[in-house]
Amino acid sequence: MGNLIKAEFRKVLTTKLWWGLLIPTFVLSFAWSLGVGALIDDVSSNVADEPILRQVGLNTSELPWAIFALTRSINIAMIFPMIFGALGLATELHRKTITTSFLTASSRSALLTAKAITYALWGAIFGLVITLSASLGTVLAADSSILPGFGDWLLIVLAGLIAAVLWTLLGLGVGALIGAPVGTLVLLLIYALIIGPIAELVITGISEGGIWAGLMPNGAGNGLTGSTAGQVIVDTVRTAIENANVMVNESAVDALEVALRIAAGAPGAMVWWASGLVFLAWSLALFGAGMLRNQKRDIT
Amino acid sequence: MHDSSGRITVQNLSKTFGQIPAVQNLSFTVEPGSVTGFLGPNGAGKTTTLRMLLGLVQPTAGGTTINGRPFNQLTNPGRVVGAVLEAQSFHPKRTARNHLRVYTAAMGLPDRRADEVLGLVGLAEAAHRAAGGFSMGMKQRLALATALLGDPQVLVLDEPTNGLDPEGIAWLRTFLRSFASGGRTVLISSHLLAEVEQTIDQVVIISRGQTMYYGQLDDLRKSQQTRIIVQPADAGALVTALQEGGITGIEPTPDGKVAVTGSSVQQIGDIAAKASIALYGVQEEKADLEQLFFRLTSGQYVGQLPGVPGQQPATPGQQPGMPPQAPGMPPQAMPPQGMPPQGMPPQAPGTPPQGYPPQQQPPAGPPQPYQQGPPPPGYQQGPPPPGYDQQQPGHGQHGGWGGQA
Repeated sequence: MGNLIKAEFRKVLTTKLWWGLLIPTFVLSFAWSLGVGALIDDVSSNVADEPILRQVGLNTSELPWAIFALTRSINIAMIFPMIFGALGLATELHRKTITTSFLTASSRSALLTAKAITYALWGAIFGLVITLSASLGTVLAADSSILPGFGDWLLIVLAGLIAAVLWTLLGLGVGALIGAPVGTLVLLLIYALIIGPIAELVITGISEGGIWAGLMPNGAGNGLTGSTAGQVIVDTVRTAIENANVMVNESAVDALEVALRIAAGAPGAMVWWASGLVFLAWSLALFGAGMLRNQKRDIT
Repeated sequence: MHDSSGRITVQNLSKTFGQIPAVQNLSFTVEPGSVTGFLGPNGAGKTTTLRMLLGLVQPTAGGTTINGRPFNQLTNPGRVVGAVLEAQSFHPKRTARNHLRVYTAAMGLPDRRADEVLGLVGLAEAAHRAAGGFSMGMKQRLALATALLGDPQVLVLDEPTNGLDPEGIAWLRTFLRSFASGGRTVLISSHLLAEVEQTIDQVVIISRGQTMYYGQLDDLRKSQQTRIIVQPADAGALVTALQEGGITGIEPTPDGKVAVTGSSVQQIGDIAAKASIALYGVQEEKADLEQLFFRLTSGQYVGQLPGVPGQQPATPGQQPGMPPQAPGMPPQAMPPQGMPPQGMPPQAPGTPPQGYPPQQQPPAGPPQPYQQGPPPPGYQQGPPPPGYDQQQPGHGQHGGWGGQA
């Protein structure tokens, strides 16, 4: 298995795709966090009208709003690990290099497992670049008073890493299912950039807070980071309320959390761990189907 | 976990793609120490068979083994079998050396092996060039280098001469002969017998997914019947004289000549002299291997040339379209599938050729698809049979990389 993983890493490192994708990953994630960081004031003033905040006289300018710049740029940059994964097997199938790969591996499942491990590691590398560049942009754009604490930041980074690994495996699986790089990319990009976000907004609007949007792959993936961000703010608010010795109005907190998830770019998302589990299920299902398809596929 | 024999066996192998049978009940064995040619026209099922042998395509029925085991059960297959396949390719931006180093890693070989095989196939100079810029011949050499990485015992090559220049073909021939002479196994497919004739010892000929001939190439050569065309003053008298002389393979031709098999020029001359029949011309004709190959594989694609009767499928026992005056040599009946692998024994001298004289019906038996169609006009003086163009085979008509479906 070690040999096959080494071979997979050589496949990646001997072509330009990895850095050709890492550069735009960094640029997009950094630029997006800069832009969103600059818009944070608008977001915070909208949320400041929440009655629950006025009730306890909370100083909204001291909440860690900058966390939204972090999650939104992380979520948008997830298209790159997804693309990277999508090309992992689809190009081998398309270019027929899969023939030699299968001929030199002890078994098909060994090769596919090595590919999964390699791409999961690359997903983590993408996740690291994304979260770090997003953090850098956020720090540069936002006032230090609205930055999250170190612990909360670490939580977001962790969620971002997990999301990147899962997006890579999802892409790998879809590419393995379709077997054509162009078709895979078109399908995934249209879904992740257009259909997914619009459908989630519409579904959230129609179902009035239902969980359906959060059950979709894109919604669940965004929920992993978005709900974590919402949770961080809600926890801060809840602590402030409790310190003020005021009864916590749970339904008001819930409503606030839904609004915060929309602000974080994850409308209709479930709580972060549920989002994570749903997205894990999607990734593994698509990845598993792709691997199964290639376990028996005739290579002609 | 294998027997290290280097033997390839294919047993009752069948593959159907959807409704289309690609390979039907194919059986043969490839012994180590020999180069076996795997021949058939494009679309005969060669590539599919080789891909099933290499575990890339799942057979519908039957199976294959290398070293006594199915490919998928070999623990490090790259060190047992090397393969050069048509639809095998390279990442166009990856250099030749990096391409090979991917697979030295996969097989657990030292990286210097990549440079060794590059030198072996004459690509050392191009090691740092991207494979996308390679010519067809260089790609074939790189594919061969990849196949040789694991120092395999068995080499499987699908149309390896495609894209090679004559020098490259000569080099490959020498290489494969020396590879096999060391006790290793080579199975090489081609749609042109002429291209591999010098290289192979044993031959498997298939057409429409079925075995047409399986045995030693020398035996196939020996099976050639020499025919003597005699132009006598009186054809009827010569036929009578020859029959009295105990010669059976006599066939008057439409243009007043007499075709004789199973005899010699001297014998015919003597008989004619004794019967006082003047001979104006005596001509010896020998069908070459290429013609025999064509005959064994003809009928896959039925085409028609002006003036040549169409090759219509026919069941044994009734051969429409066979003009009794021009029989040629009918295809040698093959034993049914599953026969012992001795191949077609050479015919004993003096034995009348099968299916001769023309009045005799082909032997009864189960319908055998390879007996379809009239005998190809291997001896005919007329226009060439359909699909058999007169151009010298071997050059200028390659399908190119990945040209075969």
